[in-house]
Amino acid sequence: MNSAPITTWEGATAYYTYADSPGMIAIWLLGAIAVCIYAIFSMVKHENAAYKKVKSNGVPPAL
Amino acid sequence: MEAAELLTRIEALEASLKMATTVNSEVFYWWCTALMVAIHAGFLAYEMGASRAKNALATGVKNLAAFAFLIPFFYFVGWYIYNAFPAGFIPGDASGALPWSTHMGPNLEDQASGIFWAAFTMFAATTASIMSGAVIERIRVSGFIILAIFLGSVVWVFGAAWGWHPAGWLTSTFGLHDIGAAGCVHMVAGFFTLGVLINLGPRIGRFNADGTVNEINGHNMAMSLIGLMLIVMGFFGFLGGCIIYTGDTWMTIYNTPTTFSAFAFNTLMAVAGGMLGCYLVTRDPFWMMSGALVGVISSAPGLDVYYPPLAFLISFAGGLVIPKLHNILLTKFKIDDAVGAVSVHGFGGVWGLVAVGIFASGYPNVEGPAISLGGQFMSMLVFLALGLIPGFVLSYILKMAGLLRCAPEAEEAGLDITEVPVKAYPESRIPAFGDGALTPAE
Repeated sequence: MNSAPITTWEGATAYYTYADSPGMIAIWLLGAIAVCIYAIFSMVKHENAAYKKVKSNGVPPAL
Repeated sequence: MEAAELLTRIEALEASLKMATTVNSEVFYWWCTALMVAIHAGFLAYEMGASRAKNALATGVKNLAAFAFLIPFFYFVGWYIYNAFPAGFIPGDASGALPWSTHMGPNLEDQASGIFWAAFTMFAATTASIMSGAVIERIRVSGFIILAIFLGSVVWVFGAAWGWHPAGWLTSTFGLHDIGAAGCVHMVAGFFTLGVLINLGPRIGRFNADGTVNEINGHNMAMSLIGLMLIVMGFFGFLGGCIIYTGDTWMTIYNTPTTFSAFAFNTLMAVAGGMLGCYLVTRDPFWMMSGALVGVISSAPGLDVYYPPLAFLISFAGGLVIPKLHNILLTKFKIDDAVGAVSVHGFGGVWGLVAVGIFASGYPNVEGPAISLGGQFMSMLVFLALGLIPGFVLSYILKMAGLLRCAPEAEEAGLDITEVPVKAYPESRIPAFGDGALTPAE
């Protein structure tokens, strides 16, 4: 996969991966946003499961 | 020497000087950013120490998660807001700050955007972390993260665009002077936190049925003190990042000339003043170190112009008053702010902004009128509203959605054993409740 927007360093400006491909930039950007949002949902799910467990089992025996 | 050869040499020297200036600027903000990371190490240690042992790791997870979320969200929206909204709520042209702009990645023609974005990202993470300590031991991490993202990537950034920007409307209209960000960072975060605390409520056991207060001691005061000292160290990166490097001189964020000597004199004198003020009224090492923060915040808006003993006294006065305001919030208004963030940052910021109006009126601005008490006061009210209203509204929505506060059973059992898969102190029995964890406050 050729991600380089340049073929020479002479006169190069924005040279990051896919800098010349707006479609690919949109995919990576939306992917990063999606990961962050998923992480929040995952956090909520983890907490709900933890609270459900402590409600049904009471204080864990380690205490 | 031929004239043409001389000209070539001069051009080469000029190019070399320009490169040196660019490199110096990049290196300067790079190390400011690194120093600001120490603020987050400090918040981590300080808040984990201020938590009871049963909640130490959950508190740490909250801080680490805030740091991890704030960085991408400031990239997604925060940097654009700062650049687009100095005039209010109507956006100006800031297309270069949009996340798909060619300036928002490696670019050989732009050696400024990334390094300034990084410094501002650390400012953003700091702002969100100010709320973090106040809400420990009962907030849901997910709810906190939503609040932190909103505060750090949106709310304070409007404050920064309005009052911590060369073209911000608070400066051009009121002549606001707030070099060290006491308003947009500390006040906005402090009052946002107050709005959250109103909806969040106190920790279980903090108040008795008759309204009297129980002390809830953290499990490691030593760790908290070291954390607070780390925050003070990180402030030197924070305040360094408030100064613009132009190559031949230093400028404030309002484009007025300044020197590092000015900041060095007044920052250190302010730290000392705040510490001594808090010591005299509390004799408590936790408050002494919080007093260092109070000191910096109290003098932050005028660090570039104060006579150093005046900065010392302004911060000393802040140190005398802030712990008392914390007690009033606790005993009269039943606000359980576990680390005094509302008082230290919110009221400290109020005092800092007003103090510049009292003691530094008349200094000219490049944009807008000269510094005045009225202008500082009006700007202070804007920052207060900007923090308090969104903090209250958003936390109320989260409360209604059941996302603000953890289950009471989890709170009583301890959030570590409920939510965290590892143990902070595996060879110790952690008291969940009792065993001296709760004592009546003096």
